[in-house]
Amino acid sequence: MPAPDPNSKPRLAAGCRWAEANGSERMLMFPEGALRLQGTGREILERCDGQRSVQQIVDEMQAQYKTGESGRIEQEVSKFLESLQQKRIVDF
Amino acid sequence: MLPNPLALITEITHRCPLHCVYCSNPLEMQKAAAELSTEEWVRVFREAGKLGVLHLHLTGGEPLARTDLTELISGARTAGLYVNLITSGIGLSEARLAALVEAGLEHIQLSFQDSREAEANEIAGTRGHAYKLQLSRLIRQFKIAFTINVVVHRQNLDHLADIITMAEELGPDRLEIANVQYYGWALRNRDLLLPTRQQVEQSQQTVAAAEERLRGRMRIDFTAPDYYARYPKACMGGWGRRLLLLDPAGQVLPCHAAGVLPGMRFDNVREHPLDWIWRESAAFQRFRGEDWMPEPCRSCERRTEDFGGCRCQAFLLTGDAAATDPVCTLAPTHGVVEQALNQISAGAVPSSIPPVPANWIYRPNPGAMSE
Ligand SMILES: C[S@@+](CC[C@H](N)C(=O)[O-])C[C@H]1O[C@@H](n2cnc3c(N)ncnc32)[C@H](O)[C@@H]1O
Ligand code: SF4
Ligand code: SF4
Repeated sequence: MPAPDPNSKPRLAAGCRWAEANGSERMLMFPEGALRLQGTGREILERCDGQRSVQQIVDEMQAQYKTGESGRIEQEVSKFLESLQQKRIVDF
Repeated sequence: MLPNPLALITEITHRCPLHCVYCSNPLEMQKAAAELSTEEWVRVFREAGKLGVLHLHLTGGEPLARTDLTELISGARTAGLYVNLITSGIGLSEARLAALVEAGLEHIQLSFQDSREAEANEIAGTRGHAYKLQLSRLIRQFKIAFTINVVVHRQNLDHLADIITMAEELGPDRLEIANVQYYGWALRNRDLLLPTRQQVEQSQQTVAAAEERLRGRMRIDFTAPDYYARYPKACMGGWGRRLLLLDPAGQVLPCHAAGVLPGMRFDNVREHPLDWIWRESAAFQRFRGEDWMPEPCRSCERRTEDFGGCRCQAFLLTGDAAATDPVCTLAPTHGVVEQALNQISAGAVPSSIPPVPANWIYRPNPGAMSE
């Protein structure tokens, strides 16, 4: 599967969820392991709620990190989602 | 500092309606009467959650043989664990699956023996293949993660491509292709299961091509056969480093097969807290870290990656649990593995056994034995 379409709405795949723990780190649970997420990875993934489109996620990230050029953020989001999709953690 | 265990593997029963010739369960299985009660299991899950365990793998035997599986799952979720069920699927109706999912089941791993019905039933000693196909279609209708597991060996590696196609049609999130590991009943049947070098090489190519083709649709996890590897696997991620395994009667072991090791005493959750067993018990400390290591491991730079390999394999093949895993090409005892492989490549055993191999040693059902 190629990079996500800007209009698709990514969500966590079946069998993947956030662990209840709180703090600066959040843990994403999936069948064969868990990811400790901080920073942008966490911010992108927290927006994968099946409501927001990829484009919206990019826009929101851009608004938050005003420094980044638009192309780079878009690419980063798209690469990150693609790799998680291959791991069967995100669907879009 | 000693890390917390990441996962708890629970063999909640050794009862099983199948008789797989590769079954890794111990030759001496626990009987139904010795099994922990529902309350005892749920208490263990709570202790595990407090100890920092993230994942619970419910396995066996056949976990569906426990009529309280739904309660075990909800108890584990309440304890904060991620719940995975490893199953043959035999005993799972639509209503029961719905109840398990409702109770909080998050991932199901269903095992197949082959893509061909007659061969699959031959390996399992039970006619279950057709039902597994039906069940897969049912599982896909529920919102849980789905993995198909197939144990591969000399009898089915020649049609690995068909096995992958079968999985593709059933549409799981993952396909786990696991080469047989030689413990329990598998070791008894090793002469019939050990693949040829040619099969191993071919299978690696088949898997690589399928991974490429299926990327993003179905993830493939492939466990290579350690007999053909240069270095051993990091068994259980190191002894007493990441995993705890409970047998049906509450004995806590560092791995599936450790029960075979002579002179070891495994503590029981009926007598000790899980936390104490993890940190303090003699069994968990026996091969933890590097102090126990012999040469060549002691001065080998790979020791922090593979931890000297598997203690049970070392014992089963050399008689010494503290030896370097003999699958390692650097091990002084590597000859025992080479000998087994030479026998296969010399054609001492036919590479693909025509119709029905008569000499399987089938795994019995301890539930049946105790009745
Ligand atoms: C012992 S079984 C118990 C659960 C259930 N009865 C089943 O077979 O799915 C646990 C898992 O280990 C796999 N397995 C069994 N024996 C094995 C062996 N010798 N080597 C590698 N995997 C094995 C099974 O296919 C299954 O996925
Ligand atoms: S006999 Fe087969 S189905 Fe039963 S526990 Fe062993 S591997 Fe699983
Ligand atoms: S010598 Fe020991 S540590 Fe080194 S690769 Fe072999 S088993 Fe691993």
